[in-house]
Amino acid sequence: MTNETTTEETTNPVAEETETPAVVRESSETADSRPKNLIETRNMNVYYGDFRAVADVSLDFASNEISALIGPSGCGKSTVLRSLNRMNDLVPSARTEGEVFYHGENIYAEGVDPVRVRRTIGMVFQKPNPFPKSIFDNIAWGAKINGFKGSKSDLQDLVQEALEAAALWDEVKDKLAESGYSLSGGQQQRLCIARAIATKPDVILMDEPCSALDPIATLRIEELMLDLKESYSIIIVTHNMQQAARVSDRTAFFNVKLNDSGMRTGRLVEYSPTDQLFTSPREKDTEDYITGRFG
Amino acid sequence: MTDTQDTNVHFHTELEELERKVLSMVDRAEQMVEMAVEAVTRDDVGLAERVIALDSDIDQTYLEVHQEWTSLMARHQPLGSDLRRMTILIQLNVTFERMGDQCVNIAKIARFNSGLPRVERICEQIREMGDLVRPMIRTAIEAYVRGDVDEARLLPAMDHPVDRLNANMYKETVAVGGNPELLEWATKMLMVSRALERVGDQAVDFAEQTAYLITGERAEFVEDGMAGSTDDII
Repeated sequence: MTNETTTEETTNPVAEETETPAVVRESSETADSRPKNLIETRNMNVYYGDFRAVADVSLDFASNEISALIGPSGCGKSTVLRSLNRMNDLVPSARTEGEVFYHGENIYAEGVDPVRVRRTIGMVFQKPNPFPKSIFDNIAWGAKINGFKGSKSDLQDLVQEALEAAALWDEVKDKLAESGYSLSGGQQQRLCIARAIATKPDVILMDEPCSALDPIATLRIEELMLDLKESYSIIIVTHNMQQAARVSDRTAFFNVKLNDSGMRTGRLVEYSPTDQLFTSPREKDTEDYITGRFG
Repeated sequence: MTDTQDTNVHFHTELEELERKVLSMVDRAEQMVEMAVEAVTRDDVGLAERVIALDSDIDQTYLEVHQEWTSLMARHQPLGSDLRRMTILIQLNVTFERMGDQCVNIAKIARFNSGLPRVERICEQIREMGDLVRPMIRTAIEAYVRGDVDEARLLPAMDHPVDRLNANMYKETVAVGGNPELLEWATKMLMVSRALERVGDQAVDFAEQTAYLITGERAEFVEDGMAGSTDDII
């Protein structure tokens, strides 16, 4: 399942109807009221060697929504996030079981190219990681290695569009030849978001994208996320519950459960509209966590 | 999660202190209702002045609660049941301050009505309303403290006779006849009736807040047959 074999292009067939697990159905929303699902996980289990890091995760992520994954350290939320674009395949001992449907296609099916999956489902990391290149090339190079075939003018347009979409253009348009490292932390993170956007994904995964940023830079990223929601789906892992409450439409709470052998495995406790989860959560574990009553 | 550990102790301690302060207004409001009714039905101006003086205590507590509530929200940004409790406390703060204001209105009428001719039947009815409203406040606070949603749901039924008496007071006022002094007195007593009916409504609102805290669902209590009662137009 984790073999990285290059195959034909992934397609975007209409998602097939699948049995929806109870944890997804237990929402105040009706199925018809939500946008179409872009990503669906079904009974996803992720292992590192023999250790099961997360168990039986079934989640739907809709288009043009921001979904937040929250929970205590070690609950597996980042593991779940990295499984959504097969980033975990890069960890030698990692193994994912179950299904992850993207536009209805199981990205873990035999023959699916994980490189293409990662290209289509972009990712922004905790620490800004610009390439050691110019601001322009941070966008252009990423696009080129991901198959951009346009003219030089087209490439310039692509760079500008991506930087504009990431709300960075006005700050860097006069210094595109300068190193990406010359930017502040917040600007570097927006550069990384621009780089992710340039490959034309429809889903962006963000793994604690603001944890290394000051409050003002954090607010700019959050504002950017709300703008990007018009065109993309965003799934964000955050330790900051207020951030999840501010930006997300739906929130998934994960918790750590000890099994009979004393192993700590992450499990999905509740997945609800964000305003519901943070005011009247259904599950006691969620209530305990968000009110700080947590061992 | 059977064993929970509170990792937010400082916030919860401050929240409990704030809650105690808000609930301290309840005893004061209940006491003021009793004193105001007594003052206006027994023509006791001295007692009315004490009601007005007591209200400044409630106003002071109201201001302190508002300040402390704002500080807590700014520093802790509570969520879940903590957020619901905070939301309710700021609404209760307003509710009790307004109960105090209603009692002051009654006390001022007692001052105005002093020495005017009176109708004992109307006084008895006002005392009856007072006797109905004070247990409503008590029941609402007990439901809150116990977290008892069933007890909170008793309030609409308790409010019904208060509404009925208030509606009847209009007829009693008309029935006093053409004596200008007596009519002036009775018209003011109609306002007393209205103030007590409002205190009853505020107790029902308190109970609705309690139910929200417990269940997490916003719902207005509705009793069959209450919609469109005549007191709505008085």
